[in-house]
Order: sequence, then C-alpha cells, then structure tokens
Amino acid sequence: MNSPTTPSRPPLRSVLLRSRKRTILGVDPQKLIKYFFGSNASVAIIVLVLIMVFLLREGIDFLPTYQRELQTYRRAGLEFCDIIDQPLQRNQALSSSLRQAVSASLETLSKTARDWRDAAFLLKRQVEDKTARPRESLTQALEKTPPAPEQIEVFRRELGEASAAAAKALDYPAVFGTAEREQLQREFAALTPEVTDLPPLLQTLAAEFSAKDREARTKFASLVQAQEEFEEATEPLQEVVDELKAKALETKEKAVEFDVLETNRLRLLEAAATETDAKEKASLTKEAAESVSEAVNLEKSIQEITGRTAELREQVEKYAVVIEKAAAVLPQDAGTGAARALVNEVREGIPAHAREMRAAAATLEGWRWDKPVSIFSVIGAFFFGTQWITNSSWQDFFGFVPLLSGSLVIAAIAILIATPVSVVAAIYTNQFASEREKEMIKPVIEFIQAIPSVVLGFIGISLVGNLIKDVSEWSWLQWVPGFPIQERLNMFNAGCLLAFMAVPTMFSLSEDALNNVPRAYIDASDALGATKLQTVFRVIVPAGISGILSAILLGLGRVVGETMVVLLVAGNRIAIPDFSAGPGVIFHPAHTLTGIIAQELGEVSRGSSHWQALFMVGIVLFAISLLVNWCARAVARRFEPHKA
Amino acid sequence: MSAEPTAKTTPPPVVQVRDMDFCYGDSKALFDINLKVKYHRVTALIGPSGCGKSTLLRCINRMNDRVPSARVTKGEVLVKGKNIHDADVDLTQLRKQVGMVFQKSNPFPKSIYENVAYGLRIHGEKNKSVLDEAVERSLTHAALWEELKDRLQANALALSGGQQQRLCIARAIATVPDVLLMDEPCSALDPISTLKIEELMHQLAHEFTVVIVTHNMQQAVRVSDYTAFLHLGKLVEFAPTEELFTNPREKLTEAYLRGTFS
Ligand SMILES: Nc1ncnc2c1ncn2[C@@H]1O[C@H](COP(=O)(O)OP(=O)(O)O)[C@@H](O)[C@H]1O
Ligand SMILES: [Mg+2]
Repeated sequence: MNSPTTPSRPPLRSVLLRSRKRTILGVDPQKLIKYFFGSNASVAIIVLVLIMVFLLREGIDFLPTYQRELQTYRRAGLEFCDIIDQPLQRNQALSSSLRQAVSASLETLSKTARDWRDAAFLLKRQVEDKTARPRESLTQALEKTPPAPEQIEVFRRELGEASAAAAKALDYPAVFGTAEREQLQREFAALTPEVTDLPPLLQTLAAEFSAKDREARTKFASLVQAQEEFEEATEPLQEVVDELKAKALETKEKAVEFDVLETNRLRLLEAAATETDAKEKASLTKEAAESVSEAVNLEKSIQEITGRTAELREQVEKYAVVIEKAAAVLPQDAGTGAARALVNEVREGIPAHAREMRAAAATLEGWRWDKPVSIFSVIGAFFFGTQWITNSSWQDFFGFVPLLSGSLVIAAIAILIATPVSVVAAIYTNQFASEREKEMIKPVIEFIQAIPSVVLGFIGISLVGNLIKDVSEWSWLQWVPGFPIQERLNMFNAGCLLAFMAVPTMFSLSEDALNNVPRAYIDASDALGATKLQTVFRVIVPAGISGILSAILLGLGRVVGETMVVLLVAGNRIAIPDFSAGPGVIFHPAHTLTGIIAQELGEVSRGSSHWQALFMVGIVLFAISLLVNWCARAVARRFEPHKA
Repeated sequence: MSAEPTAKTTPPPVVQVRDMDFCYGDSKALFDINLKVKYHRVTALIGPSGCGKSTLLRCINRMNDRVPSARVTKGEVLVKGKNIHDADVDLTQLRKQVGMVFQKSNPFPKSIYENVAYGLRIHGEKNKSVLDEAVERSLTHAALWEELKDRLQANALALSGGQQQRLCIARAIATVPDVLLMDEPCSALDPISTLKIEELMHQLAHEFTVVIVTHNMQQAVRVSDYTAFLHLGKLVEFAPTEELFTNPREKLTEAYLRGTFS
C-alpha cells in the first residue's frame, strides 16, 4: 500500500510492480502460483478418494442384500436341503470313477470285437449317407398309393447303382481281410430301404461283440454288479431330497415374488403421498392396492420340509449302509492297472463319503429355519465362501475364495517366472553389458510395456496354449506333474504371459536400484581385490536388495491388477483350483478377481446383488493393490541408509 | 616429528616408481615421476588440489585401470621389485598386497564383522576361526576392538564417521597387505577423529608401509617420515619430511610451504 505519510513518491517501476500484484483478485500472485501447483497435486488425491467413495457406495450395500438373500435361502428351507444334497454330490464323482473302471475292464476283452463292429457300422452309415437321395425317392415311391411299379423299378435300379458305387469307393480299414471286404462291399451294394434287418456280416460282427461283452461281464461280474448297486443306492435318497428341494424352491419363489411386489407397493404409496395432482394420486394408490400378493407362511411351508427329517435321516442311513456294503464287496482285481487304481480309490473314498453323509444327517436336527443370519456370517460367506454361483435356478452364492485363489496362483506363477528373468537381466545390463548392449536391451525390454494386453491374450490363446500342450505330450517330460495337460487355457499359460508383462516394470526398477548403489562400495570392493562377480554378488546386489524387492512387489501389483490377459487365457473356470493335484494344479483353468468383473459386470442388472458383489470384488482388488504398493514403498525405505 | 630413518641398510624400496608418465585419454596427468617408498615408513604426498596426488596413489594398486583410456604411457611401477604391469601379475593378488583407504569412509552396508572379513572371504578364506582371529587382530590394529568387540554384528553404517573410517582401515589391513594407500583419509573427519587416525598412523608403520595423500601440511609433518611434493603433475621434491619442511631445496616447494599459493 502506498503509505500516505511518505512524502516522496516511490519510483515508477515499483509502483507498477506493486499495482500489478494487487490486480489479481487481491491475492499475492506468489500465493496464486503456489495454489495452482498445489491444486494440481490435490486433484490426484481427490480423484483417488472419489474412486474409493464410488466403489464403496456401489459395493457396500452388498452385505445387507446378500444377508437378505441368505436369510431367504435359510427360511425357505434351501439350506436344509443342501445339508444333504451337497455331500451327496460326491456320489457322482465316485460312480464316474467306477464306471471308468468297469469300461476299462470290459474293454480288455471286448475291445477288438467292438472296434470291428463299430468300423463296419461306420462304413454302412457312410454308404447310407452317400445314397440318401435315391433311397428317399424310392421310399416315397414305395409309399405312394396306388403304387407305380415301373417308377419303383427305376428308383430301385438307381439306388442299387449308387450303393454299389459308394460301397466300392469306401476306404476299408486294414482290420478287415480281403474276403471280408468283398463281402461287405456286396452287402452294402444290396442295401434297400425295405430290409430293416442288418446284413449277415454285420450281424455276425454285432453278435461277436455281444458275446465278448457278455463274456467280459461275467468275468468282471462282481465289479459290474458293484457299480450298478452303487449307482442305484442313491435313488431312494435322491428322490426324497428332490421332493424337498422342489418344495423349498417353490416357497422361495413365492417369498421373492412377495418381496418384489411389496417393495413396489411401498414405492407407489410413497409416490402417491408426495403427488399433488389428485387424479394421479388416485391412480398411484389404486396401482399400489393391486400390487399385493399373498404373504407366504414360511413357518407352515418349512414344517412340510423339516417334518420329514426323520424320513430323510433314515434314508441317509440306509444309503450309507448300502454303499458301505458295496465297498466291501468291490473286487480286488480289475482289468487294467488304471482300473485297479480307480477301484481302490473308490474303495477308500466310500467310507469317508458315508461318514460325511451320516455327519450331515446328524446336523439336520440342530438346524433352525428362523435362526437369523448375522452380518458376520455374511461377511464370512463372502470372504471365505468357496462357491461363486450366479444365475442359478437354485441359489446364487457369492464366495470370494475361488476367484482369489485363481488370482493368487496366477500371480505367484507370474512372479516366480518374472523375478529371476528381470533381476538377472537388470544385473547383466547394469553391471556387465557394454554401452552398446545397454542401448539395445533397455529400449527393447521397455517396449514390451507398449504391447496391448489384448494382443498378448491372442498370443496366449493361439501360440502359448498350443505350445504348452504339445510340450506336455512329449514322452520324456511325463515326470512333470500335471503332464500331459488337459486344457490349453490354464493358469500356467496366463502366468507366463503376465510374467512377460511384469518384466519391464521389474527390470527397470531393479536396474534403478542397482544404479543407486553408491560408487564408493564398488571402489572399496575393487580395492580389496574382488573380482567383478564377487563385487556384484557380495556388494552391489545385497546393497540394492530393498530396491529389487520393491520392484518385485510393484511387479506383483501390476500382475494382480491385469485383466485382459487373464480373461482371455486363464480358462475362466469358476472353482477353487484342485490343489490335491499337487504342483500340477497350475495347469488347471481358473477365474480371477479382475476377469470376473470384466466378464460379468456388463451383463448383470444394475443394483442387483450380483452387481453389488462384483463391486465388492472391485473394492477388495483395490485394497490389495493399495496394500501391495504400500509394502513396496515400505520395503524400499528400509535398509537404505546410504540414501539417508 | 617421527623417527628419522636410522639405518641406511633398510630393505629395498617396497614401491618404486620409475620415469612414469600417466595419461587420462589425451591429457597427461603425471610427468616423469620417480619415487621410492621405503619399507615400514610413512610417505606423504602433498601438493595443491588437482596436481595428481590421487592419480599417483592409484597407480600403485592400478585402481586407474577402471577408468577407460587411462594408462601409464612411459616408465614403470614396481611393488616389491615386481613390475605391476607385467602380464603375469594377478590384479586380485596385487590389490591384496596393496590395500587402500578412501577419502570418504565407505564401509559396506553389512555388519562390522562382515566388513572386516570381506577381504579374506573374497580371497577364499572360509575357516571361521581364521576369520575371527583376523577380525580381532585388524580391529585391534585400528584401535576399534575395545569399542566394538561386543557389537560385531551391528550394522557398520550405524558407527560414527571416525569409527567408520577406522573400520575401513581395519578392513584394508585384514588381508595383511605390504603397502597401505590412504587418500586424504581425514579430510571428511572432525579434529578429534583426525587425531585418532593420525595416532594410528604411527602404529601402522610398525607393520605396514604407508603412503598417504594429504592436503594438510601439518598433518604431513605430524605423521610422515618422507614427503613428496607434487605440482602440476610433476614431482618437484622428495625428501625426509623434516628436511623438506625446514629446508626445502626447490623454490616452488618453499613458495608452496609458505602459502604463496595453494
Ligand atoms: N577419471 C579421470 N578422468 C580424467 N581426468 C582425470 C580423472 N581423474 C583425475 N583427472 C585429472 O587428473 C588430474 C589430477 O587429478 P587428481 O589426481 O585427482 O588430483 P589431486 O588428487 O591431487 O587433487 C586433474 O587435472 C584431474 O582433472
Ligand atoms: Mg585427490
């Protein structure tokens, strides 16, 4: 401010400067500049907070919604049915093993006969396919009333010629001798629509197979019988369970419908209360009055279900006794080694299964339909739930574990592959490479970052998948667990590609960490007579280790958050990977936290429990990323005294 | 101050530099240097900043090899009579023979024990008792044993500046070198730490031959038996310390000592 007491006028320049200062909204321009820069920094923070708020707002309602759903699941009696139904699923796995064992055993005797029969039938079908048109014409002509004998004759000749030509052109497999070939050819040429009986040779072959099959079935009679008994054992129990399930589902659907109409009614009434126009108001009220349905008497319907507890328990007990008996009479030997292994597996699996069923039945009495579902159990059901089932006609479950385990296994594979590669590359580039090599290596590795992940996804599907599958079939690699692999798209495939994507981050940051190791350490080591390798591995790498660790953690953050590649390549099977397969589990398909969001979010209706569940997954993902990044920073700060 | 060389029958020079020229690329840093470093004596290199003291020191353990295009263009350097640029010289062995302490203390971010044991370990020593014994001996020599014997596993970077520098000395002498090179070892230290290291220097001379670079002339007087004065890459004068400081033969030396330039 111009002091009025100053007699002399200030120099022009300073007046100008000062007056300019005042013109900017009365604020010191220095401060404005400061605010400008400060606000730009804050934008980042604000956006981050907004993201969190948005995610929370969409996701937080999930818990009460899911609580309501689980409550209905209990009150309508679905939970009650699942107590028995879930462990009963094991029966199918066991019977499928037994079926495999039976067919493997039978094949030891009947395979040749069956192959012959099948080959002959296949040839016949080929002839029939080729002569389909003349055959059709002939059939039609035969059915016509009155019959036209000349036309029939023409068609019959045409069919005969076509059949003869087709039979001649067939590619007969080597299992048939010359005589058999000729006979087959004759028989095929004579095929007509009127004769439904098989030609003689085919009949013989079929009979031969039946004889062999019968022989095999008598030889392995005890196995066949055990398998049949085991499969049938579940029927009476399953019948009861199915009846109960139908009843529970009906109750549930009614309850859900009632809920929907009720919320609708309340909304209409609310709208009517605020509506000023009398006519509108009347119509809204009327509509509300219509939107009612009969409330379900849950107690009554649940009694229809729980009333049969005793019966259900009895059936379980019967079932357990029957399968235990079946296990006891399972024969020791089977046709092949693999079949024997399967039978043994079943023999050992049945007692455990029976125990499980009995234990489940014992809990039925303690089950209460009106026990409230606490919010903690809902949180548990989400975070520790082992099933992610959506759009189910029975019940949707939003369990987090299948997705988390898929993500973690894939991330672990990726990090295990990427860490050695990128750290070794960083050490080489930083310490051993010539300037020219450095100029080559660094841009090339950093370029990887520029590859769009969807392109990598293509490569994973078209190239890596086939490559892994082919390699897994090499005979001298069969000692590798999980080989030969079943699925081309699996966690290992995704892990490899993610490793590739994580390498640039991990390489660059590790290289920086090595670069930051003070020159003085290297001087000291050199002066003591250390070789280059000794200096690198005893001084430089240990001194840069915290930077390297933080590089690995940031790589992990990148890997956990990556979506496109896992969506395309991981195989997308929503189930907890079968860890009982040992290390071979990495060749199984899985789904991931990121993949599930990308795949399902576009298809679910806004605000549904499924939608909210996906947002919960998003929140957890966000939290994991924050945690990993925070760890990376914490590690980087530790043990770096030379930077202090 | 230190004892004058008493007998003329002392062993041949441990380090001998003969007619040496040294270049960094195209620019010559040292001109025709001749220097004989006596057995178990402290030799000081003094001179204005940039005159080539460090370069000369680094010629003795070939630390200059690491600078691309830096090389000896004329003459030779002998350590215990052996030309260190001969093809059959093993650099690792040479540096085991010629230890070095730097201007700024640079212990590794490892434990005190591992710092001292490092030299032995890289030369293949694995025997625990040998290492223990060497660590104790070296730390005792560096006047650190009493202070640190109870926390040998502590991180070396937690020590004070003076302790760190003495630890570096201990690390350099753990491999029992013949010659110990020190490049301004006290320039980053406070006066008390400096004093301790200067005291140490006399002790070290009983066991090792020491070459020390210093820009502090008082320090040269206090610690050394011989002094070499360098100027613009040339060795102007080399004489017993007392003689050089009391009665310099060259005008340039006298001017430098008087502080006419620095
Ligand atoms: N690595 C190097 N590359 C090129 N020139 C160097 C290098 N180190 C030192 N010099 C030059 O060599 C001369 C002597 O340096 P130096 O031996 O460090 O002197 P002092 O230790 O006496 O201060 C200086 O002119 C310096 O610029
Ligand atoms: Mg210097």
